[in-house]
Amino acid sequence: MMSFHRVLHDERVWSFALVAPALVTVGLLFIYPLGFSAVSAFSAEEGGWTFANFIKAFDLYSNDILFTVVIVSLSTVLIGFFAIAIGGYLTLGENPYAVAILKWLYRWPLFIPFIVAAQLMRTFLAKNGLMNNLIVGSGLLEPMQTQSFLDWRGIVITFVWKQTPFVALLVAGAMASLDRSMIESARNLGASRIRILVEIILPQVRPTIVVGLILSFVVMMSVLSVPIMINAQTPTMLTVDMAFRINAYGDYGVANALGFISYLMTGVVAWIYLRQGVRQGAAP
Amino acid sequence: MTITSHAASVRFENVTKAYGAVVAVDRVSFTIEPGQLVTLLGPSGCGKTTTLRLIAGLEMATDGHIFIGENDVTKLPVTDRDVSMVFQSYALFPHMNVNENVGYGLKVSGMKKREAQERSQEALRLVGLSDLGERMPAALSGGQQQRVAVARALVLEPQVLLFDEPLSNLDAKLRRRVREEVREIQQNLGLTTVYVTHDQEEALAVSDRIVVMKNAAIAQEGTPRELYDHPANSFVADFIGDANIVEGTILGGGGETANVRIGCLEMELPCRSASAGPAKIAIRPEAIRLSAGDHGTGMRGTVRKATYLGNHLEYTIETEVGPLFVSDPHVEAPVAPGEIVGVQFEHRGVTLINDPSDDAERASESSPQ
Repeated sequence: MMSFHRVLHDERVWSFALVAPALVTVGLLFIYPLGFSAVSAFSAEEGGWTFANFIKAFDLYSNDILFTVVIVSLSTVLIGFFAIAIGGYLTLGENPYAVAILKWLYRWPLFIPFIVAAQLMRTFLAKNGLMNNLIVGSGLLEPMQTQSFLDWRGIVITFVWKQTPFVALLVAGAMASLDRSMIESARNLGASRIRILVEIILPQVRPTIVVGLILSFVVMMSVLSVPIMINAQTPTMLTVDMAFRINAYGDYGVANALGFISYLMTGVVAWIYLRQGVRQGAAP
Repeated sequence: MTITSHAASVRFENVTKAYGAVVAVDRVSFTIEPGQLVTLLGPSGCGKTTTLRLIAGLEMATDGHIFIGENDVTKLPVTDRDVSMVFQSYALFPHMNVNENVGYGLKVSGMKKREAQERSQEALRLVGLSDLGERMPAALSGGQQQRVAVARALVLEPQVLLFDEPLSNLDAKLRRRVREEVREIQQNLGLTTVYVTHDQEEALAVSDRIVVMKNAAIAQEGTPRELYDHPANSFVADFIGDANIVEGTILGGGGETANVRIGCLEMELPCRSASAGPAKIAIRPEAIRLSAGDHGTGMRGTVRKATYLGNHLEYTIETEVGPLFVSDPHVEAPVAPGEIVGVQFEHRGVTLINDPSDDAERASESSPQ
């Protein structure tokens, strides 16, 4: 038996002790609930294994599953587009004042919680909201011609508004770390700024863009406040359905099945993220 | 398909570049003839790279005019100037292979793919990298990357080719070889080339003419030989090769020469319109001759330090005009530290500095702070 003295001088013991708090936290707050939820999804109320929860989830919410995939995917694409546009302008913009203003402004939504963002968008996108008032005030539309954006479009707009700064922050950082003379060299060879962005910069920051978009995808999959405040009617997102199953029926089985389906979706993008990390040597 | 030259002259007319209150280039004027290789030489922060970037269009002049050929390009953006630049870091695109890197400028210009490939191949052949077209930049050595950058610049057949300290990332041996290759390509194609370096040996080796810069302005311009043999001021004398700057006295003179006293020695040195009085004299280390033993008359000195460097000896000699740095090729007869030696100066390598700016500097140095 190893003596206490030897244990005290065993490096492995100390190494394990160092990582133990993190391991316990991950185990208790992530692995256990995840495992419990997965097991519950496949458990019948009277005991034993079953697919009944999944069958019921697909029966009731297949449209919402599709809706969630479409909304989150569309938002991800738009976030990517705007993040690249912001990062590109910060890197290649020639008007120092415009660059400084954009740099100062674009990060603001990062510090606003989703629920506040959703509330902002409710007042902005409603039929009598700020956006329509501005449009009517400027004479572009008559009051009767306005329409509410508090539907799938509202969710997409809110997600894009809230998540673009996060991805833009990563992308702009990656772009800024590129060798500046490479950009100057491309300009010297006659390339326009758009061409430099697409052909020289983007291929080099692609891994960062992919990581940023994947993390955003996962975040949007888990947001409840935005769809519930902007578009709680059918179809809606899976998070709203899960909350509804639990709050209205106490139906944890179907809620867990919907959760498991969410895991599968995010699992696919997580797999892409890990592959990306392996390619780069280590995921950030 | 061959790479040809469309060499054009470059002319600066009172060009100034200021960043707020900081003036990086101050009323600089010079002309580079077509087909010449001119080096901008100077210490860090003297404005040589900014001058190069002004030619490229990567910086815009605050004042003055820049001409390439007969065209005023002062306000022309970088993309519209027929100028190619080789960057200090080479700036190769890491996600493109060598062929794609070299052909990128042609692709941007809208040249047909087949024609662009042929031209890229020719450029790679010129720099001796025909077989490495499929390699990625990361798989090339520093010297090879440098040559790819040269090929990428050459392939566009620019009116002016610019080099921004292109050899600074290479080791000493490779630097010598690559600079010879650069010079050979430039001469074979007859390219107008502007070359920036802070290495005076590199400048002397590759240039038709050298523009020495100091504090954002031109300190002197001329051929390598003119600058070495007849520096206009103590800064150039010290920057182009080594020089001992000593105090002397102009005893008098007329026409093209002046009688000058350096310590106890008197010499007749070339100089126009020199007036009698104190002066500075630049003495090259190799223009100092040492003779062993106490010679009674003439200048004497004490050897303070002696260093053997294979093909020559370097001495520090304490003399009546101050310490002198000496380069002596007579390695077979070294003089030991502490010995007394006779000191003489050869005419070639001793220059009377007759620049008022030196006097101004001297005055500012001696004035109370």
